[in-house]
Amino acid sequence: MTGLRVVIAEDSGILRDGLSYLLADRGHLVLAAVADPEALRAAVDEHRPDVAVIDIRMPPTYTDEGLRAALAVRAAHPGTPVLLFSQYVETRYAAQLLAGGAEGVGYLLKDRVAEVGEFVDALTRVAGGATVLDPEVVTQLLGAARGPGHLAGLSERERAVLALMAEGRANVAIASALFLSVGAVEKHITSIFGKLGLPPTETDHRRVLAVLRYLQSGR
Amino acid sequence: MTRLRQLRNQVGYVLTSLPLAVVGFAYAVVTVVVGGALALTLLGLPLLSSGVLGARGWGWLHRALARATLGLRVAGPRPVRRRPGPVGYVRSGLGDGTGWRALAYLIVKLPVTLVATAVIAAFLCYPVFLLSHPLWWSQRAALQLGDFLFDTWPRSFLLAGIGAGMLVAGTWLLRLVLLLDGLLIRGLLGPTSLDARVDDLEEARALAVDDAAALLRRIERDLHDGTQAQLVALAMKLGLAKEKLAGDAAPEARALVETAHRDAKIAITDLRDLARGIHPPMLDNGLEAALDTLVARGAVPVQLRVEVHDRPSPAVETTVYYCVAELLTNVAKHAAAQRATVEVRQLDGLLRVQVADDGGGGAMIGKTTHALPGGGLAGLRDRARTVDGTMRIDSPPGGPTLVTLELPVRR
Repeated sequence: MTGLRVVIAEDSGILRDGLSYLLADRGHLVLAAVADPEALRAAVDEHRPDVAVIDIRMPPTYTDEGLRAALAVRAAHPGTPVLLFSQYVETRYAAQLLAGGAEGVGYLLKDRVAEVGEFVDALTRVAGGATVLDPEVVTQLLGAARGPGHLAGLSERERAVLALMAEGRANVAIASALFLSVGAVEKHITSIFGKLGLPPTETDHRRVLAVLRYLQSGR
Repeated sequence: MTRLRQLRNQVGYVLTSLPLAVVGFAYAVVTVVVGGALALTLLGLPLLSSGVLGARGWGWLHRALARATLGLRVAGPRPVRRRPGPVGYVRSGLGDGTGWRALAYLIVKLPVTLVATAVIAAFLCYPVFLLSHPLWWSQRAALQLGDFLFDTWPRSFLLAGIGAGMLVAGTWLLRLVLLLDGLLIRGLLGPTSLDARVDDLEEARALAVDDAAALLRRIERDLHDGTQAQLVALAMKLGLAKEKLAGDAAPEARALVETAHRDAKIAITDLRDLARGIHPPMLDNGLEAALDTLVARGAVPVQLRVEVHDRPSPAVETTVYYCVAELLTNVAKHAAAQRATVEVRQLDGLLRVQVADDGGGGAMIGKTTHALPGGGLAGLRDRARTVDGTMRIDSPPGGPTLVTLELPVRR
């Protein structure tokens, strides 16, 4: 695996240094590690990284600067993968982030950085174009989505599969997580697509659509 | 000269007051008598309420007149505390002390003004007539008091002297009556000393409450940007260390690092919950955004509607947020509800928050089966009261439950 070219935007110095160290340790190249949205935009313009790691709360107001910066980055350079992380999971932020396209988008709790292996793995998947949502986001959305809607027709098993899809897992990973065969997972996914009314074209794109449908039902 | 101008102003004040006093007196009498007589019917109380509130307008008129002519400056009373709805209208009118005091002023204003008018007539106009006696008397037409005829020059000048004396006395009498009127205006149309004290205290408390809200927000931010970031960095380094130790042959050291790694992750979660309890970070994006995420997290499906045009003060937003959070927790815990609605609406200067569920009902303040001991609904009511809010619970056994909070948008 070749190293990724990464830009980091995080206002806390200690965490910024820690992330830089971690990614360098794993053989990735940290092009720039900045502390505010302005510097992030400049760094992305300059380096055109493979992926940007962005903290949601940044100066000056410490609310959703990071999210807006991420959307601006994706508007200026469409397709740039971004991994946002946040102290809290807010489904509203996740929905805003995904509304502008879900490919190459990640949204994780900051805690996940502690599991260095999983974190770097998620970063790599985002850089590769996958959608990675924090399990916590998925739990909240699942909790909110019990009302009537597209998801009402899904079985328990299908929901579990969809939740793992939302975390950006591939079929093999879903199969091992749920102790199913890959074939069974594929059958479930086909059934999900059918129940959500997604047309049978471009499988990868449909996965993203299914996740989006899933998010919208939580709104 | 100034004395003369003053006198002219005083006379002008009394003569302008006279028709106002007559009409005002009639207004007060009609309000009290008709409103009181009809009080048993549906129409009486709203009528009385309107009358009491309308008396404030009369008060304003009289204060303005006194200021324009006499230079008497009296501050206006506290604005009326309006409550929404027809019942609220009646309650705010009947409970309006200022309106009642203004009505009382309208009643006493008439006799005072009549006395002042009499003083003007008897001690200002009549003496002028006496003063002019030397100018026009003759043997055939002279003033006569009883049998005494003022038909000589000395007698005529005596009469003029009496007139002059009465004139001086008259200006003093008028001053006296107007002094009394001024006292009445101050006492009945101005703010009471209690009003002023309440103003003071409200201002002081509003500052304290907003200070506290700002302080909590800063603490949450400090925790987030300082301690939490450090903990995350620490946990990350421990995670790295754990992986690097994985192949080594020091099982004790590895176990220690693993424990430390786990502890650090628990500390992050604990600290996050603590910080969220201190100040919900989503509130920085406004009440609607915060309630939206709150509702999305809830265990019961909730329909949310927010119609607020003005941004409430931070303390009010925080109060609304935590009250809705607590009420929804109650719904999930006790009500066995299928669904709930949360409605936040602005009615002029008032924020009305309604949380309803279709559960079993039976919620009441201070009842531990439904309310949490030492907190719960009574705690919510206390919380609302710190920002001048009220809470009502309508929860018959068997349901449904409707909890209504009313808070001022800004203080």
